[in-house]
Amino acid sequence: MDAVLLEGVSKYYNSVTAVNHLDLRVGEGSLYGLLGPNGAGKTTTLRMMMRVLVPDQGTVHIFGEPICDRVQDLTGYLPEERGLYPRMKVREVLRFLAALKGVAEGEANRRARQWLERLELAEWGEKKVIDLSKGMQQKVQFIAAVLHQPRLLILDEPFSGLDPLNAQVLKDIMLEMRQHGTTLILSTHRMEQVEMMCDFICLIHQGSKVLEGELAAIKRSYGKNTLRIQYSGNGDFLNLSALIESTNHYGAMVEARLRPGADPQEILKRAVECGARITRFELIEPPLNDIFIEKVSKADA
Amino acid sequence: MRKLWLVAKREYLVRVRTRAFLISTVSLPLITLAILFLSLALARSPQDHPLKIALLDDAGELAGSVAKRLSGKLPDGRPAFDVTRTINQPGQPAKARDELRAELRRGQLDAYLVIPHDVLQGKAGEFYAKDPGDGAVTAPLRRALTEAVVARRLEQSGVHVDDLPKLLRSVDLTLVRVTGQGEAEEKGQTYLLAMALATVLYVTLLTYGIATMRSILEEKATRIVEILVASIRPSQLLAGKIVGVAGVGLTQFLIWVLTAAALGAYGSAITKAVQPQARPVQFHLPLSLLGYLVVFFLGGYLLYAALYAAVGAVVSSEEDAQQMQWPVTFLVILAFVPFGTILHDPNSPAAIVLSLIPFFTPILMFLRIALEPPPFWQIALSIGLLALAIFGLIRFAGKVYRVGVLMYGKRPSLIEIFRWMKYS
Repeated sequence: MDAVLLEGVSKYYNSVTAVNHLDLRVGEGSLYGLLGPNGAGKTTTLRMMMRVLVPDQGTVHIFGEPICDRVQDLTGYLPEERGLYPRMKVREVLRFLAALKGVAEGEANRRARQWLERLELAEWGEKKVIDLSKGMQQKVQFIAAVLHQPRLLILDEPFSGLDPLNAQVLKDIMLEMRQHGTTLILSTHRMEQVEMMCDFICLIHQGSKVLEGELAAIKRSYGKNTLRIQYSGNGDFLNLSALIESTNHYGAMVEARLRPGADPQEILKRAVECGARITRFELIEPPLNDIFIEKVSKADA
Repeated sequence: MRKLWLVAKREYLVRVRTRAFLISTVSLPLITLAILFLSLALARSPQDHPLKIALLDDAGELAGSVAKRLSGKLPDGRPAFDVTRTINQPGQPAKARDELRAELRRGQLDAYLVIPHDVLQGKAGEFYAKDPGDGAVTAPLRRALTEAVVARRLEQSGVHVDDLPKLLRSVDLTLVRVTGQGEAEEKGQTYLLAMALATVLYVTLLTYGIATMRSILEEKATRIVEILVASIRPSQLLAGKIVGVAGVGLTQFLIWVLTAAALGAYGSAITKAVQPQARPVQFHLPLSLLGYLVVFFLGGYLLYAALYAAVGAVVSSEEDAQQMQWPVTFLVILAFVPFGTILHDPNSPAAIVLSLIPFFTPILMFLRIALEPPPFWQIALSIGLLALAIFGLIRFAGKVYRVGVLMYGKRPSLIEIFRWMKYS
């Protein structure tokens, strides 16, 4: 069964088309990445899955049903813009939000306690939200999104503002939830996260779908056409325009896109000849980052 | 429905458990009691010793008559007035006055009365004292002087009267208010009470209307509205909010009504305790009036809450809110403008028409009821119109809320707001 099915969904704001006849299918139990540049329509699309916004055209089905009150209770939402009631106590906010999703008070209390302990916020349960640091508030926000054990969890930029430690914790929780059968839809700019986690992706640009499918399959379709090289010393070997189509520098590391048919061994030979010291030389499928940029620039052209 | 109730409960508890609520609820009865006690305490303490008074008689042979009639007694049995001296037609009136004034200043006298020589023709007597305004003293003096002068006038006309005081006793007037329904004895505090209650109504309407607006604004500013709207329909969210805040207002009113009822029952006992001599203050608050107060608070709140909610839904910042709430607040204040007209004639055509306009009904119709209950059909009509207006405005507010609550940033123009209405 599809967790989410969008058919011909459109949303207009005044004269701007935010989402343009979008068809989207998210299978149950998958980890789905919704990608796109700023203003592409990701947040609008996610909001329509939550009935925060109502489409101007098209239909939205969640777990086979048109979106309704009951279905809202099955979905959890972590929006991009975070916020809670600043002057309420943490436990009270969590109880209230869970009650809105149909969780009884006693049960909500129990689960809240478990989550707070897990995320190292146990002593903050009775404090007012405003007394917590931003990072802690984000953790509470996450708990609020999952306390009612949703079947579908929608996360809009979940990693923004998180330090590496907390990002790791979040990632682990997300994978664990996926293992328990929860469907997760993730919208983010952080391609590395997507690459490591997502089964399926959908790339949106200016309200329309540009790319969709199983991540592994997409990458495979490009083949191994990128070299990841870590080196020090002379970088002249990278100027082989006959073999190298483009390069992306990351300080000590460079990703080089090979021209079709180019032999990576040639480049290695040249590098050694130049006198560069090679510490990593890896032939890989193109990083999602590159695919993203390529597709978006092509769509713009 | 259940979710609406959850939101209402949260809005209610979050306000009722604050210190601010406690303070504002307690302050009204407290201030009323304070004013009561203050006025009692500051009232002149009654006479506790005989007033040493001198009589300067320029008219001749009246002083004795006056002195005879100053026969009142203090609660402990001593005479109220002690006429220490009588100066009959002094050759040097100015010098006599100076003497008396000096004695007064030295404390040998409490007061002196000058009876002018033409008092029989209507010239006023003169009362000199450090505190000449004390009615408890001037009333018996006035009465004594009047009786003495009238007795003399009668004698001069050839009429001899035995019991002049009994004949001259003034007649009291009982004030009875005749209404369409019946008659009720006028207690004299109606104006004050009506004004006071109308003001209470006005203040609470503004307070709770703005509270509704603030609640919406807070949810927008903190962005929590995003997850709220993902869990509950916007219309239910708005309705729950309005119900919750209304509950807070009603709770406060209930506490005040109970306090007023208690004061009504025990008011006289309290005043007796503070000032045994003073006349007990009467609190006359008919139950029906209090009932109407609650009805018009609810109606007025719902009406204005809808408007304030629309403002809250449209703006994104506190500054914008301050600006945009003015038209609504102004509407409430406008209800005060016809106060004078209505106080003067609660049943004039102008008063009737004004009190039927839904925006003015809560305050003006209530005022009319407090002063002089209008025919029931007028009250029913006003409530009916109010209900219709509430219905329309809440629908309007709901539409504006649905769209506006997720729009952060630039304040939308009126045209845009109209477009939002079409969206929903």
